[in-house]
Amino acid sequence: MTDAVAEQDKRRTGSSPDNPAVPVPQVELLRSARFRVEREGHWRRLDELVVRAEKAGPASLSYDETRELATTYRQAMNSLSVARDISLDRALLDYLETLCARAYLVVYAPQESIGGLTGRLLSAGIPQAVRRSALPLLIGFLAMVLGAVAGYVLFTGDPGWFYTFVPPDLADMRTPEASVDYLRSTIYGNDFDAAETLAAFSSYLFSHNTRIAILIFSLGIFLALPSFALTFYNGLVLGAFFGMFAVKGLGYDVFAWLSIHGVTELAAICIACAGGARLGLAVLLPGQRTRRDALRGQAHDAVKLVILAALMLVAAAFIEGFLRQLVQDPKMRLAIGWGIGALWLAWLLLAGRGGEGQAKDARGGGAP
Amino acid sequence: MSRRVRDRKRLEGYLPPEGVPISFSIASIGARFGAQVLDIALTYGFIILLVYAMVTTGALPIEAMFALVMLCVFLIRVPYYILAELVWNGRTVGKRLVGIRVINAEGRRLTPHQIVARNLMKEVELFTPVTMVFTVDAMSGLGVLLTLVWVLAVLIVPLANRRRQRLGDMVAGTIVVDNPRNVLLPDLALSLPVQGSARPVFDFLPSHLDIYGRFELQTLEKVLRDPVKGEEPPDFGQISRTIIRKIGYADPVRPGQERAFLNAFYRAQREHLETLRLFGNRREDKFHSAPES
Repeated sequence: MTDAVAEQDKRRTGSSPDNPAVPVPQVELLRSARFRVEREGHWRRLDELVVRAEKAGPASLSYDETRELATTYRQAMNSLSVARDISLDRALLDYLETLCARAYLVVYAPQESIGGLTGRLLSAGIPQAVRRSALPLLIGFLAMVLGAVAGYVLFTGDPGWFYTFVPPDLADMRTPEASVDYLRSTIYGNDFDAAETLAAFSSYLFSHNTRIAILIFSLGIFLALPSFALTFYNGLVLGAFFGMFAVKGLGYDVFAWLSIHGVTELAAICIACAGGARLGLAVLLPGQRTRRDALRGQAHDAVKLVILAALMLVAAAFIEGFLRQLVQDPKMRLAIGWGIGALWLAWLLLAGRGGEGQAKDARGGGAP
Repeated sequence: MSRRVRDRKRLEGYLPPEGVPISFSIASIGARFGAQVLDIALTYGFIILLVYAMVTTGALPIEAMFALVMLCVFLIRVPYYILAELVWNGRTVGKRLVGIRVINAEGRRLTPHQIVARNLMKEVELFTPVTMVFTVDAMSGLGVLLTLVWVLAVLIVPLANRRRQRLGDMVAGTIVVDNPRNVLLPDLALSLPVQGSARPVFDFLPSHLDIYGRFELQTLEKVLRDPVKGEEPPDFGQISRTIIRKIGYADPVRPGQERAFLNAFYRAQREHLETLRLFGNRREDKFHSAPES
C-alpha cells in the first residue's frame, strides 16, 4: 500500500503548473514538500499584499488587488487546513498559521466610516437603546430625585448639613451665611468677571462633568451600587443647594437658574447612571446566561446610553457657558431649559421608529 | 512542562469565519503596560508642546488658550483611544510601537461598539485610580484604603484570568494579542539532501522508523535548521549516536557523515509519519505504542 502511494508520488513529481517561477528540484519530493512547492507562490503573493495593507492601509490596494487579497486569503486558509493533515514540517505550519492570522486581521477590519457610524447612532441607535432601558432609567432618575429630596429635607432641618454635602470649591461663596443680595447676584450675574472667564469655565465643566458621567457609568460594573450612590450624592448636593436659596425666598429664581442648563445636565447624569445600572443588573441578575455573557449583552445599550449622556453634557456646557449669562429673565430661562428638555424627549421617543432591524447591523460579522 | 507553558500564552482554536482554527499569542502584561505608558506619554507630550507653542507665539488670548487646552485634555482621554483603535483596526500609537493589537474574541471583525466599550472602562480602570493615587496625601484613612482596594481589584483582574483580559475587555469581548510575524524557512526535505556528488546512501527499514513520533521529528527539525546566532551549534555526532542506538540502525555511519545521516533520517522519518497520517494514524510522540491510560 505504501509503495503504491510512493509510486504515484514519483509520477506526479517534476512539474508545478501553477507556479512556473518556482524551480522544481529534480530530486524525488515528499508529498508534503510538493504540496508546498506548488502553492508557495500564492502565499508569497498574499504576504506581499498583507504587508502593503498593514503599512499603508487597505485603501492603498487597487480593486483587483483587493479581490486578489480575498482569494489568496481563502486559498491560504485552505492550504493551512490541508497542511495540518498532511505535513509535519513545523516551519511550514507556523508560517501558514501566522500568515493566515495576519491576513485575517487585514480582511476582517472595521468597515464603518466614522461619519456613517455617527449618523446611524444618532438616527436610530441611541433612541432605540433609550426606549429599551425603562427600568435602568427609572433607577437613574430615582437616585437623583431621592437624593434631592433627602438633601432638601435634611438642609431645612439643619443648615449645617450644607457643609457636609457641598464641596467648598463648588459652593464658592454661596453658603447659608451669605446675604440674600449676594445670593441673588450669583443668580443674575451681570458682573464682568463671570462673562470673561465664560468660555474657560464652560469648557472646564464640559470635561469635568463628562468625566463624572463616564465614571458613574463605568462604576456600574461593581453591582450598580457605586453608580446609584454617586448619583444620589449628586442629588443631595442639588437638594441642599436648592434648599439654601429656597429658605431665603429665592426658590423660584434658583429654579429658573438651574433649569436652563440643569434639565439637560442632570438628565445626562441620570442617564449615565442608567447605563451603569444596566451593567450592574447584568452582573446581579444574569438570568440564564453566564455573568460574562450577560455583561456583554447589556453593554450594547449601556454604551449607547453613556454616549447620549456625554452628548447632553456637551450641550449643557454650551448652554451654561453662553445662554445662562445672556438670558437673565427667569421666565425665559424656564422656557429655554424645559423647551430643550422637551426636544431631547421628542428625539429620544420618536427617532428611529420602524427601523428596529437596523440596530442589528452594528453587531458586526458577515463576510468582507 | 515547556509545552504547557506555551499553551497558557497562546489563544488556541480561534475560529475565523472561514472555519479553520488559527492561534494568536496573547500579549504579555509588560507589553500592554508599555503601550499604555507610551500612549500617555505621547498624548500628554502633545499637550505640553501645544501649551509651549501657544505661550511662545502668544497667538491666542489667555481664556481661549485655557479653553482649548481643556478641550484637548478631554479629547486625549477616552476619545483618543476610541478613534485610534477604530482607524487603525485595534491599535493605538503605543500599541503599534510595542507590536500588540486588539482583536474580537469571537473570531469576527472588531466592531465599533467593542472599541467604545473597552475604552470607556479605561476611565474606571486607569485614569481615575491614577488620579486618586496622586491625591492620596489629602485623603483620610478610609479614602486611602478605598483607593488601595480599587487599584488592587483593577490590577488583579487581568492577572487572574488566562486570557489577560481587563474589565473593559470582558465587557467588550475583546482580547489583546501580539501582532503575528512570520518568516518562511526553507523546507528541510528539499534544501538539505544534496551535498556534493558523493552523497552517502542510508537505507531505513520500517522497523527503524516506527520508534519516533511527530514531537521527536519536529525537535530534530529544529536542531537541523541553522542555529540562532549566539547559540552553540548542536553536537550532531552525539545526536546521531543516540538516534542510531534508539532505532537499532545496523549499518555503519562514518565520522563526518553524521549530518548527512540525520538529514536522510529526517526525510525518511517524515515521509513515513506523513504516510501514516494520511491513513489516520497520528503518532504524536514516541509513546504512541504504549497502552492508553
